[in-house]
Amino acid sequence: MLKRKRILILLIPALVLYLGLFIFPAIQALWVSLHKWTGFTADMEFVGLANFAELFRDETYWMSMLTTLKVIFIGGAGIFLLAFLFTFFLSSGIKGKKIYRAIIFYPNVVAPIALATFWSFLYNPRFGLINGLLRLVGLESWTRTWTGPDLVFWAVMVALVWTYVGFYMVILLSGTEKIPADYYDVARIAGANRVQIFFRVIIPLIWDVLVIAVVLWIIMSIKLFEFLFAFSGGVAAPRPLWTNAVYMFMLTFGRRVAIYRIGYGTTVAITMVILVVIFSGIARLAMRREKVEF
Amino acid sequence: MANPALVARQKFRNGAIYFLLSLWIAFSIFTFIWILYTSFKSNKELYAGVWSLPKMIHIENYEKAWNVVNLKRYFLNSVLITIVSIFFLTFICTPAAYVLSRFKFRFSDFLNNLFIIGMGIPYQLLLIPLYKMFLGFRLNDSLIGLGIVYIALSIPFTTYLMSGFIRSLPSELEDSAMVDGCSELGTFWRIMFPLAQPGIVTAAIFNFIFLWNEYLLALVFIMREQKRTISLGLYSIQSAMLFTADWVGLFAAVVIVMLPTVLLYVILSEKVMAGITLGAVKG
Repeated sequence: MLKRKRILILLIPALVLYLGLFIFPAIQALWVSLHKWTGFTADMEFVGLANFAELFRDETYWMSMLTTLKVIFIGGAGIFLLAFLFTFFLSSGIKGKKIYRAIIFYPNVVAPIALATFWSFLYNPRFGLINGLLRLVGLESWTRTWTGPDLVFWAVMVALVWTYVGFYMVILLSGTEKIPADYYDVARIAGANRVQIFFRVIIPLIWDVLVIAVVLWIIMSIKLFEFLFAFSGGVAAPRPLWTNAVYMFMLTFGRRVAIYRIGYGTTVAITMVILVVIFSGIARLAMRREKVEF
Repeated sequence: MANPALVARQKFRNGAIYFLLSLWIAFSIFTFIWILYTSFKSNKELYAGVWSLPKMIHIENYEKAWNVVNLKRYFLNSVLITIVSIFFLTFICTPAAYVLSRFKFRFSDFLNNLFIIGMGIPYQLLLIPLYKMFLGFRLNDSLIGLGIVYIALSIPFTTYLMSGFIRSLPSELEDSAMVDGCSELGTFWRIMFPLAQPGIVTAAIFNFIFLWNEYLLALVFIMREQKRTISLGLYSIQSAMLFTADWVGLFAAVVIVMLPTVLLYVILSEKVMAGITLGAVKG
């Protein structure tokens, strides 16, 4: 028994750091959310649930919630649709699968700030690549202010889908790789074509991987910040890009004048956690089915 | 398959997907190549034609980005903080992952879940309490403070990845080492730690990519110009663009920021893919 206990020493550094600098602040955030707090050096004033009550009246908050949901669902739909298409294609035994996979994944290793820089130039209305190309081929009338208030959300969505589709495709593909080859053979002999094989064999067999991918996207999309923030103007980021994550930052650190709303910003952050819990819970429940063993 | 209309439709569909895939890949390659060649143009050339190739290699764009706007400093800051964080993460998380994945004790399930929960919590929740705490320790606005934050916040993912890797290893070697009288701690350091090297390398690659590219935490914790990490530095250059309009210099900076992770990825992409597989499929 003594020997068994000694092994726990190996756990201590990670546990202490994790409890002290992750779990403890996470719990502390609940406490902070019950306060009015205007600056880190100012005193905290206990206001009970007033911050939560304010959420219901705060139009900017609900706008940011709507934008968050749009990112989750519209961005997610784009990403998963394309990830499925690419998985369908790359898992069908074509040549050069690895190199295609590697290229589609590559934006995931690049700093979001660097990608945002490139995309904001691409969309630049005056000398950006898109408008430049349109002028070059004589479609002057198609040029747009892509980062204007009406289009900026969609412009960012396109960039976002391009960036992240590779990550989810790799997850789905890795699921297909553990399917034994004779499953395909049996299906083929039974007369199934590639589309049938994909929907009837591959998708059911990678279902558990798909659930993980969906949950990962929910977490990733709710906390997504860099891309939206850096895309156009930082603290001047246009309203259509304000998700909960951006709004939280604007309330706390992103102020141009140093009158912070730290307690309220933390309240917004708590609702982000609630959102993660609700949506990943729903995704797990809705997608629950018997595990296929092979 | 006898029905020719059906075959034709399937061919068309496959052709459409293939076209989309090719377009996607071409665009992805293009983004990188365009950034690269644009960083060698002059601003005049860029304004004359955003698509054209440089007529002369303007290497001075890089000199300017590296020295004049002080990207050198930010680059070194990021190298330092990333390497040191990865070093500590390796020696903190590998032992923890070993205990969590190999031993059953009273709280082992609870602790496993506690570490996994950390991967689902948006960092935004921790920003305020952590910042306040670090202000108290006078660790705000310092690379050491930011490094500690990086380590703490990377613990759940690193431990999870390492646990998955250690679970995939056979335990015969450890068992026989213990039978031979090797202590449990000795078994870990002499048998397990060397065996876990491939997993450690995978975790290090992921952490390098995360931490090198990290922006939000650096934005919150770092104020002083000379403490900036590379992403902060790049963003400040981008913001300054409003006044300088030096796009080619900006793209030289973008290349400098991208290069370390892209190079690592080109060399070790198989490891990256294997790591995602390990995390998602076996996890």
